[in-house]
Amino acid sequence: MGTTDTGGAFGRGFWALAPLWLGIIPFGLAFAVTARAAGLSLLETQALSALVFAGSSQFSAVGLIAVGATGLEIVLTTLLLNVRHLLYGLSLGRILRLRRRERPIAAFFLTDEAFGITARARERSFLFLLGVELSLFMMWNLATLAGFLLGAAIPDPTKLGIDLIFPLAFLALLVPIVRTRAEVLVAVGSGALAFGLQKSLPGGLPILLTGVAGSLLGAFLTRRTPVDTTIDFEAAAREVA
Amino acid sequence: MTFWLTLAGMVAVTFGSRYAGLVRRTDLPDFWIRFLHFVPVAVFAALVTPSLEGGLGEGEIRVLAAVVAAIAAWRTRQLWVAIAVGMLVFWLLRIPF
Repeated sequence: MGTTDTGGAFGRGFWALAPLWLGIIPFGLAFAVTARAAGLSLLETQALSALVFAGSSQFSAVGLIAVGATGLEIVLTTLLLNVRHLLYGLSLGRILRLRRRERPIAAFFLTDEAFGITARARERSFLFLLGVELSLFMMWNLATLAGFLLGAAIPDPTKLGIDLIFPLAFLALLVPIVRTRAEVLVAVGSGALAFGLQKSLPGGLPILLTGVAGSLLGAFLTRRTPVDTTIDFEAAAREVA
Repeated sequence: MTFWLTLAGMVAVTFGSRYAGLVRRTDLPDFWIRFLHFVPVAVFAALVTPSLEGGLGEGEIRVLAAVVAAIAAWRTRQLWVAIAVGMLVFWLLRIPF
């Protein structure tokens, strides 16, 4: 199996992710409109989608640019948000044997969704994984381009109060991932802390510090609950890129 | 120029995280797995509150619009629905009566 029909493996991976396109398209559109509102050019917006290719950190980067954060603060917040990909790599490395030269390619395009789909799939090969990954990459980048062009139709953004899109977007990203008591406590506590810190600290520092403090609080609150080492594949597939 | 330097840094830390997992053989301590689970919750919440009020003295209606958007996000779980509902409520409330 697997090795006899490698050409088809890519296609099967590509289509295995296709049902998620419906969720990715509006997400990519929203990202591009938000990036435009933060003053990014088309090239800059597209470069984020093509080279960083991680939705939540792209969103936070444009939000941070809008509040005047420094480059270092943006990079550190990106690290904080994307370090979780370590877990996917660790898990994927166990269920899928990759050659040395395949690893950087598999890693570059690795996302929550691609991990979720591949981990649940019966078929596991490099080409299947690559098909899944590039399916998301293609749609994410097309949606980014479309969103930026559509955003041009919105007249005079400042007068319309379009900057409200930042808190709204993050609220909409936050609400679905808050389910347990500990998650509610971390969300409320982090919101309050960042609000308090912004009065005395400049730019992105309140967000970065709150990100670390809130996550420490969450880890402390759940210290007695066992860690789910199998990782919730459904949740991973649902979460953002 | 600053943007492209920042982008290079973002690419480095993102690719680094993705690649490190694939080549490592050891597991993370439980504490850090729990920590990572809460990062998006903490960061997204921290990005909501500082920019909620805005600078145009429209704090009250912006907060009200955000509350409606949060309810929409909770009911539909759709990012774009929540944003659209929130902006619509905000624009409606802005019309002077």
